[in-house]
Amino acid sequence: MSDTTQFRVLDFDCPTCASTVERALSNVDGVQHVEVHYATGRVEIEYDDSVTDPDAFAETIENQGYTPQPA
Amino acid sequence: MNKQSITQYYRNHRKAIVTATSGLLYGGGWSLGYLTSFEMASAAILVLATVVGGYDIAKTAYHEVTNRTLGIKTLVTLAAIGAIVIGEYWEAAAVVFLFSLGSYLEGRTMRKTRTALQELLEMTPDTATVRRDGTLQKVSARDVEEGEVVVVKPGGKIPVDGTVVDGESAVNQAPVTGESAPVHKADSDEVYAGTVNQEGALEIRTTGAGSDTTLERIIRRVEEAQEAQSPTESLIDRFAKYYTPAVIALAIGAYAVTQNAILSLTLLVIGCPGALVIGPPVSIVSAIGNAARSGVLMKGGEHLERAGKIDLVAFDKTGTLTKGETTVSGIEGFGVAAADVLSLAATAEKKSEHHLADAIVDMARERQTAATDGGATVAQADDTDVGRRSVPDPDDFDVVAGKGVIAHADGQEVVVGNRALLDDRDVDVPDRVADYVREREGRGETVVHVVRDGDIIGAIAMRDELREAAPGVVAALQDAGIETVMLTGDNERTAAAVAEEVGIDEYRAELLPEDKQSVIEGYQADGHVVAMVGDGINDAPSLATADVGIAMGAAGTDTAIETADMALMADDLERIPYAVKLSKATRWNVLENVGLAVLTVTVLLAGVLTSYVTLASGMLVHEASVLLVILNGMRLLRY
Repeated sequence: MSDTTQFRVLDFDCPTCASTVERALSNVDGVQHVEVHYATGRVEIEYDDSVTDPDAFAETIENQGYTPQPA
Repeated sequence: MNKQSITQYYRNHRKAIVTATSGLLYGGGWSLGYLTSFEMASAAILVLATVVGGYDIAKTAYHEVTNRTLGIKTLVTLAAIGAIVIGEYWEAAAVVFLFSLGSYLEGRTMRKTRTALQELLEMTPDTATVRRDGTLQKVSARDVEEGEVVVVKPGGKIPVDGTVVDGESAVNQAPVTGESAPVHKADSDEVYAGTVNQEGALEIRTTGAGSDTTLERIIRRVEEAQEAQSPTESLIDRFAKYYTPAVIALAIGAYAVTQNAILSLTLLVIGCPGALVIGPPVSIVSAIGNAARSGVLMKGGEHLERAGKIDLVAFDKTGTLTKGETTVSGIEGFGVAAADVLSLAATAEKKSEHHLADAIVDMARERQTAATDGGATVAQADDTDVGRRSVPDPDDFDVVAGKGVIAHADGQEVVVGNRALLDDRDVDVPDRVADYVREREGRGETVVHVVRDGDIIGAIAMRDELREAAPGVVAALQDAGIETVMLTGDNERTAAAVAEEVGIDEYRAELLPEDKQSVIEGYQADGHVVAMVGDGINDAPSLATADVGIAMGAAGTDTAIETADMALMADDLERIPYAVKLSKATRWNVLENVGLAVLTVTVLLAGVLTSYVTLASGMLVHEASVLLVILNGMRLLRY
């Protein structure tokens, strides 16, 4: 089943950083759609919950050097 | 501090700690090299400073490369490695340290912009006291079901959207509507989650809880607005896509020609259009956030940029410049008792939904109630249904749009309408009727004639009071160099009187709803950028036609928010000059930021090509310009 989750990343320090995170998240297995907004720090992910879960997304964001917060 | 809390502290402040450490090492390495002759030691410390400060940058750069995006972190990493390879340890450490410091400060300031809206969300309490199974229970505000009754004590925050079922109070609605004055709430009034109950206890029947409240909806819309790209932003993004690769090509080309490694590396550092891409979004997010906190919802950067060019504001008269509460101010009978004129007109108008019809029917109802009150039994005729029932139904009834109604009752034909309708039907208008009408219209009132079987038997004058704020708002817009126009369906004389009272520049009278649209198109054809202010429901077509449609009193009405480019949550006309000025300030702010960024890049490029600017100073100027545009944009948060 498809599900949607949100994070808030307050420490993006450049617009490219946001698009890098967006690309990284969209490469995670089971992710169907990702939007990362530099201006508001909002991350929205649509995913298949039989394949992956929000913890994996949080880890991906952390690996890129940013701090995800639940929204 | 135990080990765990140290780890936690490090995690939370990693960027600050890394930056500070790299800064200290950089300072130490530089002093050692400058003051002593321990050159090897100095170089080692500077390389260490580069590694400490550069580790996180390089890690992100690695992700940038593997994800095929080209960002500044890749460029900085290349520059730092390049500098170390050619033995410029000082430059390498300086670039890394300055970049870390800059991005740390950028992250911190952007966080302020990003959290500006969250303060609004924090207004909603987490728990609610609900009447369940005959007792009061404290539950999570998200778990309140629609239809349940919530009790809010004086001084408490209201946890849900709903209607008052018991109690009376003053409620501060500032978080939702931006109004500073509390609003009186009693039986069947609507209240919003996040607002503050100031005086008496209220019992509220829930209509929405959790994420289904007006405040949550507003905030979601505000975020969508902040995320929507303005035309300037998309232009810059398209430019940036080519700019960075172009600078890299230039760096490679420059090295091929000059064999000057420092020059090419410096080109890499300034190759990220930093301030240019960051400036406009910061200005727009700050402005939209500021507006939201003042009860003005801006739909997005595109609308904001357009609003910054407004040079003409058109107001719908009824309900916008006026309070929209039309009341009967005079009844004149011509050969017939005034009371009969009123009751006949009320019967004819009973089925009409026009606001003038409502005023006449209400007045007739009131008169009847007053008459019954005089007797021994007091009629409980307060309820609208009862009141409407006391006015007899017409046998049939037809609306003539923009003119009036034609009805039949008790075998009589009753026409209630304006002069145009009378002329259509060849009704003779005696001088004393015309005089009465002229005199009333000269005071800004609207008059309808009452005709029974072809003869004028009376006239009813009605008045819609101006909002107290209207003249001040018009004056404030005029001071800002903006033309003001009033659009109304009223006739010429009434419109002229109201226009003079408000002090508006121009008015257009006798307009049918669809005419308002063509009037706006006319102004646009004359080269004006037009804002239209209306209620968002009846005026939806003209709001959509205008360059910027501004809907008033939009809290709770989703249609108004949909059609408008800007929505005032409260019926607060005074927000309009604020919103227009904020838009203009935003437009300037975006231009300032773009200007500053272009200037910086030009100066840097020129400086690099003439060898005045090296790695460290290039980075310093680059980071300073980024911080400067962020701080400039953030001024709009406090506008």
